[in-house]
Amino acid sequence: MKTAIMIAIIVLADSAGDVLLTRGMKQVGEVSTIKLRELVIIGRKVLSNGNFLTAIFFIVVTFFSFLTVLSWADLSFVFPATSLVYVMGTLGAKFILKETITLQRWVGILLVCLGVALISFP
Amino acid sequence: MKIYAILILGILTQATGNVFLSREMRHIASALQIADGNFPVLLFQTAENPTIWLGTALLIISFLLFITALSLADLSFVLPVVSIEVVVNVAFADYFLNEPVSQLRWIGTVLIFLGVILVGRSGKQTVRRREKEEIGDVKGR
Repeated sequence: MKTAIMIAIIVLADSAGDVLLTRGMKQVGEVSTIKLRELVIIGRKVLSNGNFLTAIFFIVVTFFSFLTVLSWADLSFVFPATSLVYVMGTLGAKFILKETITLQRWVGILLVCLGVALISFP
Repeated sequence: MKIYAILILGILTQATGNVFLSREMRHIASALQIADGNFPVLLFQTAENPTIWLGTALLIISFLLFITALSLADLSFVLPVVSIEVVVNVAFADYFLNEPVSQLRWIGTVLIFLGVILVGRSGKQTVRRREKEEIGDVKGR
């Protein structure tokens, strides 16, 4: 039960982080250079982006929850279980963003759910 | 070709980082004989543990590799490739951490892997649609 709650926190924080990170990096644009001066300019843009910074907060929450749950649960259970983030993402896209979800994607998240159900057995 | 090198390196550093973190968190928790109440003690021990920092550094490297890959290619390409991560993590947990991975758990892991491929491949349409909407917005203004 304790493990399930931690997985839920990880999945929710991870989904929030993903959405915000995607939005933030799209605003910053493509990183196509390795020149130090240009990288510094891009770095500054990234660090002053609100979406990016909020994403970092959620990523930190995800990370500490992940560390904590690893102190008692198996990696071979915890890591696959965090794939539920794709299910969350799809449900969020469907019910919050009102996106149309393809049949292929529904089949995909069904497989993820089945997989997580199977790994839950010892 | 470059993108595959970036992604493979990203997957390997990610799984290796997780192995270090998992092993060390177990050590810390068993040394403390952790009870539900002393979470702050756990965090404190974690923050000054070099192996935890090594694992964290590996995860940061993999994170940087993945965001670099995402700036070079669509998520609908990157995500199906990265989905193998779940299999690599379970294999590493089995091999390096000696976790007992049952046949049922392997089947579950492979199902998750296949499921994430499908989710990732269907992403393209969403991205394209969103781009069209954005172009529409710009034209609208």
